[in-house]
Amino acid sequence: MIIDINFIGLIIASIMASAVPLILASCGELITERSGVLNLGVEGMMIIGAISGFALMTVTGSLIIAVFGAMLAGVLISTIFAFLTQTLITNHVATGLALTIFGIGISAMIGKNFVGIPGKEFPVLFEGLKDTIPLLGPILFGHSIVFYFAFALPFITSYFLKKTKIGLIVRAVGDSPESASNQGINVKLVRYACILYGGAMSGLAGAYLSMIYTPQWIENMTGGRGWIALALVVFSTWNPIKILIGAMIFGGLTIIQFHMQAIGVRIPVQFLTALPYIVTIIVLVVISRDSRKIRLSTPSSLGKSFHKDN
Amino acid sequence: MNTNLKISNVTKIYPGCVANDNVSLEFNSGKIYALLGENGAGKSTLVKILSGVIIPDEGKIYLNENNLKLNSPLDAKKNDIGMVFQHFNLFETLSVFENLIIDSDEERESLREKIDTIMKKYNFSIDLDIPVLNLSAGQKQKVEIIRCLIRSPKVLIMDEPTSVLTEQETSELFLSLKKFSEEGILIIYITHKLKEVMQLCDEVAVMRRGKLVSVSEIKNENIESLANKMVGQNLKTIKKKKAKTSSDQLIKITNLNFTSEDPFETNLMDINFSVNRGECLGIAGISGNGQSELFQVLSGEIISEKKSIEFNNNYIGDLSPQERREYLMAFSPEDRLEQAAIPQMKIFENVALNNFKSSNFFNNGLINENKIKEHSKKIISDFNVNTDNIELKSQFLSGGNLQKLIIGRELITSPDLLICFNPTWGLDVGAINYIHETLIKINEQNKSIILISTDTDELLKLSDKISVINKGKLSKIMNAEEVTSEKLGILMGGAN
Repeated sequence: MIIDINFIGLIIASIMASAVPLILASCGELITERSGVLNLGVEGMMIIGAISGFALMTVTGSLIIAVFGAMLAGVLISTIFAFLTQTLITNHVATGLALTIFGIGISAMIGKNFVGIPGKEFPVLFEGLKDTIPLLGPILFGHSIVFYFAFALPFITSYFLKKTKIGLIVRAVGDSPESASNQGINVKLVRYACILYGGAMSGLAGAYLSMIYTPQWIENMTGGRGWIALALVVFSTWNPIKILIGAMIFGGLTIIQFHMQAIGVRIPVQFLTALPYIVTIIVLVVISRDSRKIRLSTPSSLGKSFHKDN
Repeated sequence: MNTNLKISNVTKIYPGCVANDNVSLEFNSGKIYALLGENGAGKSTLVKILSGVIIPDEGKIYLNENNLKLNSPLDAKKNDIGMVFQHFNLFETLSVFENLIIDSDEERESLREKIDTIMKKYNFSIDLDIPVLNLSAGQKQKVEIIRCLIRSPKVLIMDEPTSVLTEQETSELFLSLKKFSEEGILIIYITHKLKEVMQLCDEVAVMRRGKLVSVSEIKNENIESLANKMVGQNLKTIKKKKAKTSSDQLIKITNLNFTSEDPFETNLMDINFSVNRGECLGIAGISGNGQSELFQVLSGEIISEKKSIEFNNNYIGDLSPQERREYLMAFSPEDRLEQAAIPQMKIFENVALNNFKSSNFFNNGLINENKIKEHSKKIISDFNVNTDNIELKSQFLSGGNLQKLIIGRELITSPDLLICFNPTWGLDVGAINYIHETLIKINEQNKSIILISTDTDELLKLSDKISVINKGKLSKIMNAEEVTSEKLGILMGGAN
């Protein structure tokens, strides 16, 4: 049997496509966590983004409004989280969990009217170049703008954290909010901004799911991807490039196990379904086993409330 | 140019405590000023007001006749007031250079040049590109000082700067401070260590319970007069009587090793020592040289080889802290609120914590609250803990009272050996005195102490034998009378 080389390219492209929402949400959450805030509401913010994007697309007909609307929805819901944890000093974990439950509930409520409505086609870039290069053509070309953005994001995030002043301030706040505050940095402002940015990225990840990946609204369609995104952040030890690797492994195994199920491999379905979760975590744990690096990249104040006393 | 800093009628009130009560002070450049007082006297509040961290309820600050509005640390920086905090304001996981550039508006290259110039001028040598957590406490402090110097400050405030330094580092710091002062920087030096005030400063202001008690020139004062002003009563000086030389060995450590998997811990290498009954063995060293690991190995938080620790003719190296307590060992760890007591639990609950096996405290798995409370009251009165509410959560006790409670809890079972780690760290003179008296009393009752401490004065005062720990290795054991603080300092620095 001869396998078409472009077919392999298509499989790799589909793996990359399934990694997109994970990369977006993880890179957003990474910035939030680097500032010392643990937002467990990623799943909730994603699903809000998913329904907002789909609903706006259906109602207004404009894809641009829908994409930015979804990001705005993510920002709005994360503002609730920011207000609670930063202004009212509530517990990060409990508030984040509440946010997820809230997001899933409210998206199901809004989504009632949108079930069964077909989505719109999202424009892709460089469609014509797809067949020019074997193997690489389908991998590199013919994707949505969000796809390209997602694969640039880990590198942008890494550059931002390492090379820019604002990135330095974010890391400083996550390392020691007390010191940062004593240095005249407005800790709350920085953390608000990082939480809102995380919300925007989760919203975008959700919109990608409902508008591009599977263009329709299904209740609970994020299906735990928000939790995987959270796990990726931790197991990548807050390293954006490792998030990319982790998301690709997860996406890859998800796609491969679908194909294995389809072919009828004699392995229990439950095990195949669990495989991406297990392998991703094992791989990330193994490649991140340098305790010195872990110490240097773990935000020391993660999940701890900071209150300036005067 | 002359700098004049004036604090005028500053008052800061917290619920239940007046931290600064109508304080007025004036400083002029060219001199080094000491701000002296016990913990809780209000000196830290006052300097935090000067550095914009705390906003006073009343009062004004003038720098060269200009009324300063210090609403944030940024305002203080803009007005050329630099401050080195007691607890460093550094970002441990960022590099030294990142720590310095974060609040600077300068370009990378020009800032690097500036830092190099400062380091050359004052003989500092620090690698700018390693993370701060790899630095020693003395180096961290230098980073803080450089951070202030970058802005060429008019005023430099040092809050308890020597609490983490060795003798050598302290004298280096003093040299630098004198140099800064000669160059016209006004220096305010906050401390509760009298010796340092006498060594370094020109004028001294003493605070007690939020009030300014006196301002005077150093040449008119001596250690006793300052101590009395600070405490507000005559302090008796305590001296240890020379212990009767006993040859009755209580604990013996043989070839003890500990290798940590955490690269930020220190490995212990081939530790050997013994302590006789009625003796106090002091272990000196700069913090981070293996003290905390040694304490954990001795207390059983880290299990070692069974035969490496022999206590009262039993091998106990593989026993847990609870089991070691049954052999009459007692422990007072360094971190009072993290390791010794649980801050959110009440006093009497904390008292019960080291005594799970006591049939007095627990009946068939149920807590006998009355017995525990009775017992707690006894500790509170026997050990002078300044509260009568045993239902109080431990976190609300002051450091001194909490330490007395912990030592009391450990001693009331009359152990044969007490192992303590920095028992007077951060305490005021009164509490230190009390703890020292108590430790001396233990020795007089023919019980033994292993005292791990970073305070050399304390070690020289209390120990019969002294050893120094450096990078996880113990020096040879010396008789305390033959040792001077200079000699300890050299050993602590790693020389032979």
